[in-house]
Parts: sequence; structure tokens; C-alpha cells
Amino acid sequence: MSAAPAKLAALRHLLAERFPAAHRVAGRTLTTGLTAIDDATGGLPLGAVTEIICTAPSCGSQLLLGQLLAVTRATRTRVALVDSADSFDPASWPIDLLAHLVWVRCTAATALSATDFLSRDANLGLVILDLRHTPDRELRRTPSTLWYRLQRAVEPTDLALVVITPRATVPSAQVRFTLNTPLPFAALASERTALSTALALTLQRQRLTPHTAVA
Amino acid sequence: MFAVLHLPDFALHAVLRISHAAPGQPHALFAGIGKKSVLLAATAAARSAGVALGMTAPQAVARCPALVIHTPNPTAESEARAALLAVAASLSPTVEDTAPGVCTISLTGADLQKTFSFAHAAVASLAALALPATAGLARTPLLALYAARHPGFDRARSLNLSRSPSGNSPADLTTGRTRTHEKDERERYLLHLPPESEKQFLAPLPLATADPSPALAAIFATWGLHTLGDLTDLPRDELVRRFGAEGLALWQRATGGEPRPLRPIVPPQTFSASLEFEDAIETLEPLLFLLHRFLDRLTLELTASQHVAAELALTLHLVDETKHTRAFRLPEPTADPEILFRALHTHLASLHTAAAICAIFLRLTPARPLVRQQGLFDTGLRDPHGFAETLARVVALVGSGHVGTPHLADTHRPDAVTLAPPDAVIPAPATPPVHPALSAPLRRFRPPLPARLEFTDGHPAYLWTDRLEGEISFRSVAWPSSGDWWQADRAWSRLEWDIALTDGGLYRLLRIGDAWYIEGEYD
Repeated sequence: MSAAPAKLAALRHLLAERFPAAHRVAGRTLTTGLTAIDDATGGLPLGAVTEIICTAPSCGSQLLLGQLLAVTRATRTRVALVDSADSFDPASWPIDLLAHLVWVRCTAATALSATDFLSRDANLGLVILDLRHTPDRELRRTPSTLWYRLQRAVEPTDLALVVITPRATVPSAQVRFTLNTPLPFAALASERTALSTALALTLQRQRLTPHTAVA
Repeated sequence: MFAVLHLPDFALHAVLRISHAAPGQPHALFAGIGKKSVLLAATAAARSAGVALGMTAPQAVARCPALVIHTPNPTAESEARAALLAVAASLSPTVEDTAPGVCTISLTGADLQKTFSFAHAAVASLAALALPATAGLARTPLLALYAARHPGFDRARSLNLSRSPSGNSPADLTTGRTRTHEKDERERYLLHLPPESEKQFLAPLPLATADPSPALAAIFATWGLHTLGDLTDLPRDELVRRFGAEGLALWQRATGGEPRPLRPIVPPQTFSASLEFEDAIETLEPLLFLLHRFLDRLTLELTASQHVAAELALTLHLVDETKHTRAFRLPEPTADPEILFRALHTHLASLHTAAAICAIFLRLTPARPLVRQQGLFDTGLRDPHGFAETLARVVALVGSGHVGTPHLADTHRPDAVTLAPPDAVIPAPATPPVHPALSAPLRRFRPPLPARLEFTDGHPAYLWTDRLEGEISFRSVAWPSSGDWWQADRAWSRLEWDIALTDGGLYRLLRIGDAWYIEGEYD
């Protein structure tokens, strides 16, 4: 009996050597520059789905998006934004910040399929699916199998998939944060970097162990 | 040294190649469509069912009810011929289009061992193109053709081998030699005829191999001459004296002829393929099958001429006499048939035509392969073709004009955004602005939400829209903006306020004329 665990470990080692693509070390992350995320999980997990639940109005989801754009712009990592409600405002950002962005202006009906295509592309480092303004009835109609399909699509990749939702929607999310504090009126006169740093993200779920960030 | 690539039953295989025939089915090629037209060629499955050359269609079908009948297709033969010549060009630049299904290649100066491996590769390439071929290598074009037509010839039995230094008999050499299965397979379709083996190879071949006239064939048959060896055993001068120039020509053919200059083909200058369908097609699968066949051949021709494809042009002719044309500009020129096929597949998968397709035309625009040194810090695309395909799929899903990198139009008009194709190389980040950005970014409502307001003391106090409502706790001063006043049809003017609702939420309130809107949420 005592030989069985040793044999099992040897078998796992052999499989990892023969099939390295299937044996990805969990915990590779994309640093966001946001303390609330980086300290909790080491960053956005690569090859996994992260859900950001925005339960309050003006809770800072676009600030979070902007921070992700800034971080990936610095490393020239290509990003895709699947905008299911066509709500992204490029005029809110310096145009240089968007040079690496592929903006998909779609509807809730096509958003998941578009995300599926983009999540399988080796040229992208981050895909953001924005369902913040998607009506509840559309979200309820989405079968959970589609979310698990998305998770399977990103698992073998070096891509982080972030889904922004108005309520808990993604059952396959390995990491889940919530934003539930509305910005005060004074935020309209505050520096944006300070607003981003102060985002009150709360970790609600984590199914991966934290690891040293790779980006 | 010459090589011949030979496609047995050329016309039949040419038709099968583009007809999406299931493997293992019995197929036969008839001379025409009439009941009395005779069978010209049949697949092994048909022959094993008892179908034989010269049968009429009713006779053949009586023996093999599942027989699929075909008639010669000049376009299919032209495609197969082009594929054969493209593969042959990979062996040597001097290729002759000798006859339908036969091409002769000059290998003067070529290394013999490399020639073997190239010839094997050529036969394998043709097999991959659904054109089963045989190859022969010999001193003269005619000998190479004979070798290609009889690749399974067992040289060991026919050769008058002297005993080897080890003292083994020829039988021992035959049976004792270690042969790999792969070598056996290769020797079924490739035969090299060294000069010392020519006579022994030619001797047992039937007299018809040298293509005698019917009159000469009848005479030789009465003389009991049935093989080339029987003919060449006769004195040549006597044969010439008896039959003149015709006899001399036959003698020369029976001995394998002499090396002769080939009539080389001109490499193709355009790379296109077309086909008219007998029956109009309405589904995707037969179209994709055909396009794959076209691309296999066209990319071979491109590669042989040291070119790659920079652009594809596809034209579908419909039965209602309209046509659908689409050009595909490739992110990076390539001669990879799979990449080109995926570009076509992605487009056709979402295409709906008003009528069935009766003809198809595909053209590749050649270009020289890119020679590009990547910069050390360039962050170009890892897979340009994959990215283009991904974007094409997303565009097919969400519509064109809805995918791209945002660019702001040169105007103060709000929400004046255009989308451009993403850059292949992401530029280095610009220097950050001196003054940091203020305020939370806007999350727009497109179109803006119509709003109703309740005023107190002339100021908005309560807000209703379809999506949100609430008491307004804070508001900024009004911010007027206008533009394009010099163009009556494009002039715009508006007033904006930033507001906060008591229950949370920061919004941009908009007034255009007498109408109120919520333009977006500060998020």
C-alpha cells in the first residue's frame, strides 16, 4: 500500500513530462496594479475565468477596466473587450491607452460566442467580457454549460478572461471579486489613479492558489 | 537520367478527385452518356465485382449494381494535369507534359540518392492530392515511362544475377534479403532502371508496350512474337529491310529509345482554378471540398515558382445569373493551403446566397515571400493568420464595423468614434500626459436613456428613466457645448450636468433642446 502513493507521484511526473501542455501549473497571474486583487490572488489568474460582480451603481467597473488597459498597454499585451451593451466610452481615455485594444461592439446574444472565439486566440493576453448592463433575463437564459465551455477554452492558454457582471453569474469562475461601493460625488473631481487605487474589491471566491506573478 | 510520373487511369482519377467520391466505392468511367458507350476505366472495387474494360453501362451495372458511373470531364483533367505538373516541378525545372497523365522530368546532373527521395515524395504528394501515381527513373524518357508503367516489376526474378562474393544464389539473395515493409510499399510505385538491367527489364514486356501499328502487331502475332525480347532477338537490319522506317522506329521503342531533349512547359503565370457544376450546389460541404482541391494544386504551383499568395479572390456564379465576389487580403502572404482554406471557410460559413451556385472561380494573387527581420522589442502578432481568422469570425458574428481598435474622430461632437483594424505591431506606449486624468470614466448608454425630471426651485430634483430612478442629491453646474454650427444639417448643441442619486450612482444628465436624457453612468 505504501508503494501506491509513490507510484502515483511517479506516474504524475511522467505524464507531466510527456504532456507538458496539459500539466499547467496553476497560479500564473497577470498583475493588475490594484492592491485589492494583487495581494489577494497575486493578480488575474491566467488560463482561468475571473468574475467581477458589480452590485452597486457607479462602483468603479470602468475604473477597473481602465487600470487593466493601462497595465496591459505598458507590456503591449493585446486586449479584447466584448461589450455586450455597447457601453464603452473611448473618449474617457487617452487614445494611446487604447492602441492595443480590440473593441467588439455587440449585443448580449452574440457576446458569449464572440468571447469564445477570442479566448482561443493565441495573440490575446486578456479578454474582458462586459455584461454589466446586460438585462437579468438575458443572463438567466445563459446555460451554465456555456460558462464551463469558456473555462475549458481558456484553460490551455496564457490568457486571462475577466467577466464583469451585475450579479453572480459565472459558475465556472475560479476567482470572484465584488464591487459594491458606489463612488461619491466628489470622485468626479478626484484624480483617476487615486480612484483606481481605492477601489473596494472584495474577494468572494478563489479556487486557485496564489503564485508569483508572471506579468 | 530521366524520371516519369505516370497517373494510371488518369481520366477516371481526375474525375474522382473533384467528385467527393467515398473511398472503396466502385467507380467506372465510360466514353459517353449513351447506353452503348463503353467502359474505359474502373476502380479496383469495380473490377473485383466483375466489371471489365469494354463493357457497356448496362452490362457493368448488371455485374455491379452499386457502380457509380462517370464520364470524362475536361475541367477535372485540366486540374489533375496542373497538379501533376506542379508536383513534377518540385523535382526539376525541366518538365515536359508528355501525355494526359504522364510527365517527363530531366534529372541531368541530379544526385541519385536525393532523386530517389524526391521521387518518393512526389508520388506521396500526388497521393495526397487523390492522384495515385507511379514513377520510373531510367536512362531515357521512354525507358522511364516503361518503368513507371510497370513499377511492380520484380527485377530479382528477371535479372541474371551472378553469384555474389559470399556465394549466395540469386534465390538466396531474393529470399534472404531483409526488406522492410516500407521498402516493399515504395517498390510498388517507384522503379529505378539502371542501364545494366534495361535488357532484362524490357525482354518480358508485352509487344504492345512499344505501340506497334495494328498491321505490324498482326504480322508479329502470326510469327509468334509476343514480347519485346522476342522482337529485339531479331536482327535489327533485317527488321528495317522488311518494314522500313516503321520497323526501325518500333525497334528503337522496343529497346527503350535514346535520350532526347524535352519540350519543357512554361511555368504558370497566373494561379487560378474554376469549375462549372453539372448540378447546381446549395450546400457548403461540396463547395469546401472543391476549394480544398483547388488550393492544394494552386499552392503547389505557387511554391514551385517561389511565390506565396498575397490575396485570394473568390467568385461564385449563381443560377439566377448573378455572382458573389469576395476578395481576401491576407495579413501575411503565405502558401499554406490550410491557412488559405480557413480564410475561405470562415467567410463561406456565414454566407447566404439568393440562389444555388452553378460555377466557382478562385484566383490567387502571387507575391514574393516576405523577408523581414523582426525588431528585438517588436511585439507583433504571434499568429497573424490565426488573428485574422479570429477577427473574421467575430465580424461574421457581430457584423462589420463593430470590431476594431477605437479611434476618435477629429471633432468635439460627443461619441464620435470609429473602429480601425488592429495594428499588427502594437506601438510603444506614449509619454504619459503631464496632467493626470480626473474623474471616473463614463459608461455610456447607447442610445442615451430618455429621462423625465421633477424640478424644485428650478433645479432637477427627481429623475425617472426606464432603467433607473431616484432623488438627485448632487448636481454640477451646467456645461454647454456645441459644434458644427456652420453646417445646418450637422449642427449640435447640448447642456450637460453631472448628477448623483441619493441611493447611489453618478450620471451625466443631458439636455438637447427640450428633451432630457441620461447619457451615461460614471463608473
